[in-house]
Amino acid sequence: MVDAEVKRDRIIIRHKGKKWDWMLEPRYWRNAFLWTACLLIFPILCYFFSPILLNTLITANLYSAIAIPLALMTVGTGRLNFGPNFFVGVGGYTAAILSIAYGWGPLKTLAPAILISLISALLFSPLVILARGLYYVLLTLLLPLVFLEVTFIYSDLFKGDVGLAGIKLLMDLGDVKINFLMIAYLSIFLVLLYLLVVNKILKSRYGLIMATINDDEEVAHGIGVNINAVKILAFVFSAGMIGVAGWFYAHYFGTFAGITYLPLTFMVKILLVIFIGGRAQVFGCVAGGYFVAFLEMILIATLGNIQPVVFPIILFILLFALPEGLFGIYRKRRYREYLPTLHVRR
Amino acid sequence: MSEILKVRNITKSFGGLTAVNKISFDISSGETVGLIGPNGAGKTTLVNLLCGSYYADSGEIEMDGKFITRMKPYQRCRMGLSRTYQIPRPFPELTALMSVVTSALCGKKRANRGFDDAAAEATHYLEFVGLFSKRNILARDLTFFELRMLELARALATTPKLLFVDEVMAGLNPGEANRAVHLIARAKEEFGLTIFWIEHVMAVLMEAAERIIAIHFGEKLAEGTPEEIANNDKVIEAYLGSGWRKTNSAEQSA
Repeated sequence: MVDAEVKRDRIIIRHKGKKWDWMLEPRYWRNAFLWTACLLIFPILCYFFSPILLNTLITANLYSAIAIPLALMTVGTGRLNFGPNFFVGVGGYTAAILSIAYGWGPLKTLAPAILISLISALLFSPLVILARGLYYVLLTLLLPLVFLEVTFIYSDLFKGDVGLAGIKLLMDLGDVKINFLMIAYLSIFLVLLYLLVVNKILKSRYGLIMATINDDEEVAHGIGVNINAVKILAFVFSAGMIGVAGWFYAHYFGTFAGITYLPLTFMVKILLVIFIGGRAQVFGCVAGGYFVAFLEMILIATLGNIQPVVFPIILFILLFALPEGLFGIYRKRRYREYLPTLHVRR
Repeated sequence: MSEILKVRNITKSFGGLTAVNKISFDISSGETVGLIGPNGAGKTTLVNLLCGSYYADSGEIEMDGKFITRMKPYQRCRMGLSRTYQIPRPFPELTALMSVVTSALCGKKRANRGFDDAAAEATHYLEFVGLFSKRNILARDLTFFELRMLELARALATTPKLLFVDEVMAGLNPGEANRAVHLIARAKEEFGLTIFWIEHVMAVLMEAAERIIAIHFGEKLAEGTPEEIANNDKVIEAYLGSGWRKTNSAEQSA
């Protein structure tokens, strides 16, 4: 006989002399289950009331799925990468070219997309050791732009001007609305997975080591942290995660064009996600992703052509007004909650 | 006593300026060695060379029978070299406890070292320097003296054999300086350290050090017991200038 007892801060379940404690987070704004439930209910509501929103929802989730690994990369390397969309391009093009050339479905192209992203990141990883400060920003900013040029030069392979078409779709269940709903859930699953993994890393001892690199590299080196290994690992690992977002884009739309993801306009949106969420705050990235995607939708509907100009302006204002983002305000008051804490068993 | 560190003809130049020029010395285990010199003599450069922040142009550094001249700072740290900085360099965004936990985690490779083990050990070092009550305060909010102590705790948590103390007295008032000196002496006894102490204030080294090395313009001027150094003509000249002796002897004869 299962016996459940609800207490103020925990649910106790007893069964045949065994006991399970399930701690409840009393502060609802930090309750992971509540936020997950919100994320999961949102697509269903959209499905019934306004299916158009599903597309915005998927965009928001993909923005978050790029921003969360970018946050990990920022902390782990101690530098802000200004060209995360390079890896979106690498993952997307790998998936697109393989799918068109060999007729591979999304499941088959996933592993090559991750692999090529990892290899490309490993190729460029000396950047995190050699370049620092403004030079790192400039070099990473150039990567996607150079890649964009390459897609134009080798037009017969990349189709830089029109984009690759005819990629196998992520899923085809017959009904367009249900398709969108399922893709929305898949994107939410991706975001939740990334949140779980990155949060676990940042809360662990490796997160602490990354935090020291973020604060002062030389001192971290002096107290025994192998900074080069940590920086390269963080860079390559998060690049692989960003590459998956590119794979998702390619199979979601069935087309992939470098001109959509590689230019500065896309990069500005990702940076806006990061800055709204707070620099290197994983949970802020989700809030930032939804904010930017919905703001973009509203701006396109109301402002039309001048919309690309508005985003950089908002970014500039935020950089001055909220250097640590929305989460930064919260963090200033409760810094202890965002550091690894000791768990004492009662 | 066996020699823990051997330095042979170590040289480092920045462009045309030779900051450290062919300096050689030994440090035996269990010793407290002082390093003195006027401003710009190359004291901190020497420590940076020994800890690996800079690589030497020529010369050799040997520690426990291994040549560490080309080793990276983290490898030297794991071999048992640790240092404090002249101007405290804390991790501003981390709490005091977490800064020390990192060095306990990374300092020396130990089997089955978990996060909680490191935290327990870090707590001990924080308590040792008297910062236990400030363990959950961000390092950027600590006072100057507390930062110094945090640096010391962070250096001790890597379990060094040889500790470089870089001007621990700078910027402290006499009471705090006294506490710092006593703490370093206690650390030496309790953790069995060898200490290489760079200091401007001669009075401190006179008491604490067993042997003093004096350098000037990157070259070794003298080496010996504190009394020998205090009466060494070259050292007096480097510190006070050659004019001092003339005026002094003129006063005596008059």
